[in-house]
Order: sequence, then C-alpha cells, then structure tokens
Amino acid sequence: MEVYFVIFQKFGKLLFLGVYFTVFITLCAVIVGLVLGFTLSVMRLYGSKPLKFISTTYIEFVRGTPIIVQLFIIYYGLSSTGLVRFTPMQAAIIGMGLNSAAYQAEYFRTAFLAIPTGQTEAALSLGMTRFKVIFFVLLPQIFRVVIPSWTNELIALTQYSSLAMILTIMELTSVAKYIGSKTFFYTQSFAIAGLIYLLFSFFLTRLMMLFEKRLAIPGISAAKVRM
Amino acid sequence: MKEVLQVVDLKKAYQKVEVLKGVTFNINERETKVIIGPSGGGKSTLLYCINMLVKPDSGSIILDGVDITRERKIYKARQKIGFVFQHFNLFMHLTAIDNVRIGPIRVKSMSRSDATETASEALKIVGISENLWSHYPAQLSGGQQQRVAIARAIAMSPRVILFDEPTSALDVELIGEVLNAMRNLTIKGVTMLVVTHEIDFALDMAEEILFLENGIILEKGPPKEILTNPKSERLKRFLSKLSKDRKEL
Repeated sequence: MEVYFVIFQKFGKLLFLGVYFTVFITLCAVIVGLVLGFTLSVMRLYGSKPLKFISTTYIEFVRGTPIIVQLFIIYYGLSSTGLVRFTPMQAAIIGMGLNSAAYQAEYFRTAFLAIPTGQTEAALSLGMTRFKVIFFVLLPQIFRVVIPSWTNELIALTQYSSLAMILTIMELTSVAKYIGSKTFFYTQSFAIAGLIYLLFSFFLTRLMMLFEKRLAIPGISAAKVRM
Repeated sequence: MKEVLQVVDLKKAYQKVEVLKGVTFNINERETKVIIGPSGGGKSTLLYCINMLVKPDSGSIILDGVDITRERKIYKARQKIGFVFQHFNLFMHLTAIDNVRIGPIRVKSMSRSDATETASEALKIVGISENLWSHYPAQLSGGQQQRVAIARAIAMSPRVILFDEPTSALDVELIGEVLNAMRNLTIKGVTMLVVTHEIDFALDMAEEILFLENGIILEKGPPKEILTNPKSERLKRFLSKLSKDRKEL
C-alpha cells in the first residue's frame, strides 16, 4: 500500500498529465472518426459508384491493417517524404481518428440498415431531397440505434490511445512505463494505469447508457421485452 | 373537367418479368378512381411508378401537363403527389403531429406556426383527436397510424393522393375508421387513386374502377357496371373469389 502512496506522491502530476493526454487524444480521435465515419457510411450507402468504391476501399484498407502500422506511416512515413510533418500529438489524433472512422462507418451503416426502408420511401414521397431524407428522417433515428455499438468504439478507442506511446506521447500507459522504469515498481504503476482506464470506461459506459435512456423513443431500437 | 394525371403506355419489368405491359388511364380533378386486381398484377408497381419511387422503363406520367418521367428534379413533382402506404411508414422518431408537420416545414419551408395550423387541420379531417397528437407512432393503433399517414399526405395539399392498399394491413375492426377518413377526402374533393379491395368503398366513392390484371388494364368502367356486369372471364372469377373471401370473414 505504501508503494502506491509513494507513486502518487512523487508522480501524481505526471499521472494527471497522462490522463489528460489520454482523454484528449481519445476525444479528438472519436470526433474525427464520427464526422468522417458518418460521411463514409453515407457515401457507401447512397453515393454514386466512384464514391461507393472510395468508401469501401478505405474501410477495407484501414480495417485490414494494424493501427500501429498506420500510426508509423502517418508519423514516420509521411515525414520522411518531406511533404508534411506532424507533431506526435497531431499524428496520434489523425491516425486514430482515421482508423476509428472506418469502424464507425460500419456502425453507422448498420444503423442505417436498421431503419425500415418504408420511412425513406415515405420521406421521398413528401418531396424531400436525398439530403433532407438523411438529415431529418434517418439521422435522428440512427443516432439512437447506434449508441450501444458506438459506446463500444468509444471504449476501444480509450484503450487504443495507449498506442500513442510509440509516438513518444506521455499518455497514461507511457507514464506508467516511465514510473516503472524509475522506481522498478512496474506491477504497481501499471496497475494504477489499468485502474484509471477501467474507471474511465466505467464512467463513459454509464454516460452513454444515460443518453440511451434519455433519448429513447417508443418503437425505435431494441425495445425491452420480457422473455 | 381538368385532367390532373395522365398515365400513358407505362411499362416496367423487373429483370425479365414484365410487371406493367403498357398501362394507360387518366384522372380528373376531384375524381376518385379505384384499382382492383389479383396480387402480382402490378397494382403496387403502378403506384410506385407514378411518383417515381420505382423508375418506369418507358411511357409517360403527365402531371398537370408536365411529363415528370423526364423531370430531373423529381422531388419537386413528388410534392404534388401524395402517397399512403400499405404499412403506414410513419417516421418513428416523430410524434403524430410532427409526422404531419415535417412535410410543410422541411419541404415547403412553411413557418412552424403555419405548419402547425395546416397539420391540425389535416389531423382533424382524418379524425385524430388532439390528445393523440403528441403520441409516437408506436403508441398508436394501426388504424390511427394510417390516419396520421393520410393526414401527412394531405398536409402537403397534393394534386393527387395515391393509396396503396391502405387497409389491408389492418384488423377488421380498424378498417372502417380509415375508410371513413378516405370518404371525407372524397367528399372534400381530393383527387385520389386507390388500390383497394374494399368493394363497398369503391361502389360508393369511385367514379371509375380499373381492373389491373397481368400488367394491363383489362376492364374499366363505373363501379356498378364493373361489379355487377363484368365482361371478361378473369374479372368474373376475381370478383367471385373476392366475395367468397369476404363471406368467410
């Protein structure tokens, strides 16, 4: 117990910084992924052939390669070409955002497919353009359907943000490793990091469940039926 | 009388199956026409083609003198063609009144208060009482849902409303309220094209019945003539089957 106390006393500030970076990377990446992912899903479902092709290829490539490879390419690969040079933080957010977009695109696509086609037909029959159908009829329902799977992505991304350590960012895992190397209390420092991740996920899950409850509308998404 | 809609030699095939083999008819202002015919005869396809939810292969659909099959911005023509679906297709995330308001607000750019007025009027015509206006579709009975769907169509004040078997998904005791709402529309002079097997409705309300069989209009005429004095063997058989089914109910 004493060990934990010492770690907190000596490295409390650093741990706090680690948590800050972890949260920051996760939130930025999830927002990049949300916007891009939604766009990709619309492209794949309603786009012209070339748009569909671009979207499908993108999703295929990103899901088919390890995120660590993607981060290396964005950080080291691109800078070696001399065209662009990202800071580690930029590279981490862009890399994880682009990665998350591919997964979120598929979550959104699933949600789109869950809305009965009759509603699209009805919206079109009122004289709505495709854009209006998507934004005024489908989107409000999709967000409700997508929440459970989206929570999944949010939590996964929280853990994946630990990969930012390979880009030398002092996020939580990186901090834990540093503390371990300074004190040789590896187990304890990683246990602390793990516990913080757990609390963070727990908090996010409750938050999303609250949203789910608040936004619930009878008849949309899996209604609770006693079986 | 002014012609609202003309359908000229409309053809549609799915893969190699010809569903519509050249359908021609027209509807005048304030008229109600009823389409009957066996399932698989192309009734639904015909309605879906008229507002271009399904693209016809050839032929014309002329709405107020304009061939809408050649229209690039088809959504503009669709504003003038109401559609009532077999399975209601209400927007699940909107309350009854919002389902009716969304068209005027989002498509006609009406102000919220004007749209509310239009929507309330439409809901009153179909007999949805005010205490149901804030209910979501899942909280309404099938008959109520279909009447809200009818209100949604009339709130756009279309030139013609297409009904695709509006009562066939309903329990028997709920059919009456929907048919009454439709009768109200006929009386108000709304132009309607109705696919239905409710013979009593056709008899009372329709100017003309079209018998669509195997992709063509085999017979047409005033309801009394069609129903009591069918010429073709096909129609005779269809009508006798229909009355037999009704007796079994």
